[in-house]
Amino acid sequence: MNELKHVLKLMLIEKKDVSIAIFFGFIAGVAGVALMGSSGYLISKAALTSQMTTLVVMAACLKLFGFASALSRYGERLYSHRATFTMLSHLRMSFFERLAPLAPGIFGKYRSGDLLSRIVGDVESLQNFLLRVFYPPVVLGIVFLSTIFFSSFFSMGIAAVMFIGMLLTVVAVPALFSIRKRRTDGQVRAKRGSLAIEATEFLYGFRDLKIHQQLSAKEQQLTTDAARYNEGQRKEGLEENLAQSINSLVALLVSFFVLGVGAYFVAAGELDGLYLAMLVMISIAAFENVAPMAAFPAYFEESRKAAVRLEEIVAEPSALRGTEQLPDGPLDIELTGASFSYPGEKNLAVDDVSIHLKPGTKTAIVGPSGSGKSTLMQLLLNVFPLDQGQLSIGGKPAENFGQEAIWQKMNIVLQENHFFYGTVRSNLLIADPTASDEQMEQALAKVHLELFPLSMAMEEKGQNLSGGQKQRLAIARALLKGKSLWLLDEPVSSVDSLTGQAIYQELFQQGKENLFVLISHDLAGLEKMDQIIVMENGRIVESGSYKELMERKSYFHQLKQIENSVFA
Amino acid sequence: MNDLKQLAFQRKNTMAFLAAASLVKGSATIGQALFFVFIADRVFLQDAAFESLLPLFGGLFAAILLRVGAGYAIGRAGVNLAADVKSEFRTTLIKSFAENPMLSAAQGQSGQKVSLLMDAVDEVDGFYSKYIPQMMQTYIIPLLLLGVIFTQNWTTGVIILITAPFIPVFMAMVGKGTKKKADEKMEQLSRFSGTFLDILQGLSTLKLFGQAEKQQQAIRKSSLNFRDSTMEVLKSAFLSSLMLEYISMLSIGIVALEIGLRLVVFDSISFFTAFFILILVPDFFNLLKDFGSAFHTARGSVSAANQLGAELEKNHSPLAWGKETIASEPPHLSLESLSFQYGEGFSLAPLNGEIPPYSQVAIVGKSGSGKTTFMHLLAGLLPQTEGDLMVNGVPRETISEKSWFDQMSYISQTPYLFAGTIRENMVIGANRPVSDAEVLAAAEKAGIAEWVLTLEQGFETPIGEAGRGLSGGEKQRIALARAFLKRPSLILFDEPTTGLDLRTEQILQDSLHELQKTSTVITVAHRLHTIKRADLIFFLENGRLEAAGSHDELLQNYGPYKEMLSAQQGGGVR
Repeated sequence: MNELKHVLKLMLIEKKDVSIAIFFGFIAGVAGVALMGSSGYLISKAALTSQMTTLVVMAACLKLFGFASALSRYGERLYSHRATFTMLSHLRMSFFERLAPLAPGIFGKYRSGDLLSRIVGDVESLQNFLLRVFYPPVVLGIVFLSTIFFSSFFSMGIAAVMFIGMLLTVVAVPALFSIRKRRTDGQVRAKRGSLAIEATEFLYGFRDLKIHQQLSAKEQQLTTDAARYNEGQRKEGLEENLAQSINSLVALLVSFFVLGVGAYFVAAGELDGLYLAMLVMISIAAFENVAPMAAFPAYFEESRKAAVRLEEIVAEPSALRGTEQLPDGPLDIELTGASFSYPGEKNLAVDDVSIHLKPGTKTAIVGPSGSGKSTLMQLLLNVFPLDQGQLSIGGKPAENFGQEAIWQKMNIVLQENHFFYGTVRSNLLIADPTASDEQMEQALAKVHLELFPLSMAMEEKGQNLSGGQKQRLAIARALLKGKSLWLLDEPVSSVDSLTGQAIYQELFQQGKENLFVLISHDLAGLEKMDQIIVMENGRIVESGSYKELMERKSYFHQLKQIENSVFA
Repeated sequence: MNDLKQLAFQRKNTMAFLAAASLVKGSATIGQALFFVFIADRVFLQDAAFESLLPLFGGLFAAILLRVGAGYAIGRAGVNLAADVKSEFRTTLIKSFAENPMLSAAQGQSGQKVSLLMDAVDEVDGFYSKYIPQMMQTYIIPLLLLGVIFTQNWTTGVIILITAPFIPVFMAMVGKGTKKKADEKMEQLSRFSGTFLDILQGLSTLKLFGQAEKQQQAIRKSSLNFRDSTMEVLKSAFLSSLMLEYISMLSIGIVALEIGLRLVVFDSISFFTAFFILILVPDFFNLLKDFGSAFHTARGSVSAANQLGAELEKNHSPLAWGKETIASEPPHLSLESLSFQYGEGFSLAPLNGEIPPYSQVAIVGKSGSGKTTFMHLLAGLLPQTEGDLMVNGVPRETISEKSWFDQMSYISQTPYLFAGTIRENMVIGANRPVSDAEVLAAAEKAGIAEWVLTLEQGFETPIGEAGRGLSGGEKQRIALARAFLKRPSLILFDEPTTGLDLRTEQILQDSLHELQKTSTVITVAHRLHTIKRADLIFFLENGRLEAAGSHDELLQNYGPYKEMLSAQQGGGVR
């Protein structure tokens, strides 16, 4: 339960809705019990007398309790669902609040694309916590206790039987199955995981499998894994069915014993026979409500696991950082002896790299894919902590500043730039919330997107834009921010070469005093750079100006040769 | 929904079992009520001694056990039915994926297919584990109850017969209304619920622009909007179930009133009958309501089932293979009006040409000109629509699949590496026991030996799924090592479009040079030197073979080839 403490706390923010829902749930449950109880009593009474009043009272009770029960059930559903969705909002906000400080470093650490959808799924499955985990036992408990309290006026023995039944159906059976569930849940999850991996390999590696004639072996493997997963699910289903059956067995046995104890006391003359039917009907009605408890173990386990996983993600200790602000004016960036490897990977992604970037200079970082260019950029951005070496900005260690303080001084364009659902305007305002329409239009013109109206709709992730348009929009966004440190990771790789060169020209002209770092995987148009750094396997193999490198006729020169002979 | 039902009814044993178990459950329910009433009646009105009731208690206990037992058996049968059907779906899907030629991979639908196999199949579960058993029970038990009620007091039976049909009618109306409302709100709902993911995906961007804090309010706003829209849809659903409850309450009320009248005023039935009916009637209506909620679960399965159905209905034209074996020497290939058409979209016009043994063929053309499709046809990965690929004078279809693929290697731009060790990934194509010395030699030729030996576990180093953690160059070289171990007589090679590291570039060239000595090499060429060195160049444009010949011939006779080369020399700027 400890893992769910945080969720519980968030849920209780919605005290009002939750209490109203519980109240209505209680009324609905009790009214249902009262309906059955009163009909049992009245029918017994009617058997003894032939008074019309009995009949009238009976009809009135049936109507009253029936309508009360149905109406409260409606209120209960309304408020419990409302509270659930409100809780989802709190869950999202609270998780976001804790995740935000860890970004973007955390996304680099989990190099798995589905991290985000997993987070969304986990947060969403936590909304079941209120509706299916917390709520049913609470309402059931209250309904049972009231019923037992009422019954105790007639027979302590029957009340005791019901109390034992309550303990069994609300506490013991769900707890037992939760424990069993915890033991097996991991296995089904693991089987699902391995089936997903096999299926992915089968479909993505289809051609290679086919040619190497491994397709049928892999198909066999896939079929086996599917069968294993299926068996796991079957066991899970059987387990839930068993829980359900045991629950209803206990519920029916309670009515059995209520009848037994009642009959015994009536025969012994300690209970008026008039109440026997009522008490039996009460127990049947009360225990009819325990059905949701059968699903409790599954939802409980799911919520617990989701909470644990989410906790793992945000529980990262964040490194202690200073709070100094960066000074105004030109800054230089210096990286000395920097090494870095991604968690869980043996190879160094960046290996003993030192570079010095001075204000007013333009540096290009080039190299084949996988050579560590982008990782180097992330290190310059201070996204990841260095394994070894030192990053300093303006002559001071980067740790002295908060990460946001560093980024605040930079215009950054990454390979993947996110655009939000909204408009071009709302996406540009992210860079500078105070920017005027005129400024935004100017920025768009500079990247040759003058045809984009600011009010143009933007779909999720900018799906309605081409790759090149997105890149240009990202540059426009950086232009609006207007800082003096430019860090660009392949900013125009999908833009046609003429436009790309024109945009570079524009940037360099506007920022003559600025510092530019530019990652590029093609080698054209690098003549204007002050410094070219050539990387391979995480190391710097060569650096110098374009002219120097071409004259040296070594690595860069050869890369250039190859590039000249490649047809795209 | 009918298709799904059919799958269930095909399993006659299960369905018969469900029917029998429902019958038992219904009888036990009646028996339970009967014993309850017997005992109450004896104790209350006849002042029976407790001991005399013991046999009745025994009967009651047995009825309860039987009822729960039958319920358990029904649930169990449902779970097993669902598991069996899902297993069948998965097996059929996997088989269909395996038979499907390259089309799907070419269309980049692999991710969608994985989710079909995983999620869509799981979504069918509820239909078989919940709906079908509930349906069977609803067919049988209410009828049983109604029959018993009729024998006890026919007026009650008539009342139920009149009121009960309102429930399914209402359910259908309500379901339609709710669905309409949900459809109307669909877009809005998915957008509100998508905002959270959108913001999480953009979190890095937001942080870099110092805008993350503000987003918490955006999340709150969209979540609350989502809540309000969902509640509107739910409200109408809840309201309708309220109406349903009223209907059943109302008819229970009428029944009770009728019984009461007879009991009190007319004295025409006994306490026994009255109590008995009073216990049975709610059970009757509960079953109908349960069926209603099971129906909702079933509807959720329908869209998943439609997806599955659509996938399984796609007809694949599997590749035909024969029995002939081909010699382990480079074959003579002739293209005889080889053409390919995929749906309304892409087509490859009839291609003609000769590829003699040991030749080096380069295929050139812009992206989208059909180079990859051409390669897949040559590789025997796609069935041609018309024409023939003749191998040593016989159609490719007459050759055995094994013999063909034994002679061929395909080195793509993105060779797929499987989760396993480096060694496993190298020997995958060899189809024969391979000694360590051979592995080492192949690794040396492919230029990975040095790198592999620096790894702690050497050739036994595990590589992740899809070669995660390896650079593009390393993957290419492992694929080369595969080819060296396989020693094929036909090699299809998709030359990288982007610059690899110098060493890999060098190794690729040297290796191909080496492999050419023993095989025919057909390359989708992106390097000038590869093209110049080819004996035969196929120039493709828009799915047509526009020209074929050597570098010198094309340079002289075919203008667009010259243009392409000069455009390359002049620019190369992207």
